[in-house]
Amino acid sequence: MSDTISQWMSQRAAQPGTLAGAVRRADGQCVSHSADPACPAASIEEVLANFEALAALCAETSAPQWSTWVFEQGQIRLVERPDGCRLALVVRNETDAAAALDAASREFLTLSFET
Amino acid sequence: MLSTGTWEIHLANTAQVALDLLKRQSVDLAVVDMNMPLLDGIQFLNLLGKRYPNLKKVTLTAFATEEKRSQCLANGAELVIEKPRTPDGFKSVFAMLDDLVSWTPQQGFQGMLRRVGLQDVIQMECLGRNSSVLEVRYEQIHGRIFIEDGSIIHAYGDGLSGEPALQRLLALPGGSFELMPFAAPPKRSIEGQWESLLMEAARVRDEGAAEAAPKENKDGKGPTSTMPPARVVETLICSGQGEPLFNDKCADVNARVERLKKIAAQAAELAKLVPLGNFDRLEMQFTGGRAIAQARADRMVFVRTAHQTATS
Repeated sequence: MSDTISQWMSQRAAQPGTLAGAVRRADGQCVSHSADPACPAASIEEVLANFEALAALCAETSAPQWSTWVFEQGQIRLVERPDGCRLALVVRNETDAAAALDAASREFLTLSFET
Repeated sequence: MLSTGTWEIHLANTAQVALDLLKRQSVDLAVVDMNMPLLDGIQFLNLLGKRYPNLKKVTLTAFATEEKRSQCLANGAELVIEKPRTPDGFKSVFAMLDDLVSWTPQQGFQGMLRRVGLQDVIQMECLGRNSSVLEVRYEQIHGRIFIEDGSIIHAYGDGLSGEPALQRLLALPGGSFELMPFAAPPKRSIEGQWESLLMEAARVRDEGAAEAAPKENKDGKGPTSTMPPARVVETLICSGQGEPLFNDKCADVNARVERLKKIAAQAAELAKLVPLGNFDRLEMQFTGGRAIAQARADRMVFVRTAHQTATS
C-alpha cells in the first residue's frame, strides 16, 4: 500500500471525532486506522468488504459520488474512486471530523495515489 | 384498538347522518370518505366548511391523485390521506390525526422542543398545507418560522435570516415554541419544498454545522453558496410498514419501498459492526443532486433533489 494512502489515512484518523477509517485499493490491498477501541480496524474493514452491497442500495441512474449512513451518534461515509479505490470513514456526529467529511471525500477523489 | 383508545369514533354512512350527528355531538375531527352516496366528499367538505368552520377535516381516499388532493385542500381539508391497507397503516393514520387535533393554529399551541419535535410540528403544518407562524425561544435566542399554505417561506432568529435561520432554530437543543395564526412576514427568504428544507436542516444539525451557519449577505438574501440551487424531483412518505402516505413523482412506489426496507436491514448490519446507535438516514451525493432515505420503525421517507441548471 502506498505511503500516500497511509499518510492521508493517518491524517484523517487524527482528526477529532474520527473513530476509524480504511482505504481498499482495487487490487484488494487495504490500509485501516482505528482511533477508538469501540470501532476496531477489523470492523471498518468489514464495512469496506460489504461496499458493493451498500453501494447497490444507493444507485439511482448513476452511482453516487459518496454515501453517508447516518446514525444517532455517528456516521459512516463511503466513497469510491473511478480507479476502484474505496474509502470508509466512521466519525462521531457534531465533531470536526463530521464537518470535514465532504472536504475529505473530495480530497480522496482527487488525491494522486502512487501505485 | 388501532386508535389506542384516544378517539371516540362515530360512524355516518351518508352526509345527512353525519350532519345530524354534528348537531347533537361535539366533534373534534371529521374524516370524510371521498366516495359517498349522493353528496361526494368534495361537496361535503365544502358544506362542512360553511356550517362548521372550526371543525378540522381530513379526507380518506384510495387513490390520492394530485388533482384530487388539490380539490380536497381547496375545499378545507387539513390533510388528504390514502386509505391504509394494514393495521400498522391505520396506526400511522391515527398517530397523524392525533397530531392534527393536538395542534390548533387558531388557538395557539405551546410545546417544549424536547417533548414534541419542532420538526414534527413543521412537518404536520406543511403536510396539512396550513398557514401559521412558529415562534421559537431558547435562552436568549428568539426566532420565527413562517409557513404559508404548507410552504416554509421565511425564518429569522439569532441574527440570521432565511434557510440558515431555519437550520439554526431546528438545531436548538431545547426551549419552547408557540404555534400562532399566520401573519405575513416582512419578506420571503426561503424557497423550495419543505421536505428537502427539513432534511437539509437535519443534516446540518447532525454535522454540527448549525453553530457555524453563515450570516446572511448584505442584501439579506441568505448565504453565499457554491452549490447550485436544487429542486425536489421525488418525494415519498410511507408508514413504517411501507404504506404510501404521500407520493410526489415517485414512479415505482413498490420498488422504492423495497429499497427502503433493504436499507433498513443493511443499516442494522452496519450497526452491529460500529456502535453508533440507531440508524437515522442514508444520504447520497450524486453529480447532479442528492437523495435522502429514511427508514425508521414509524415512517419511511425518500426525497431526491436535482441541481437546477440554467435551462431547468
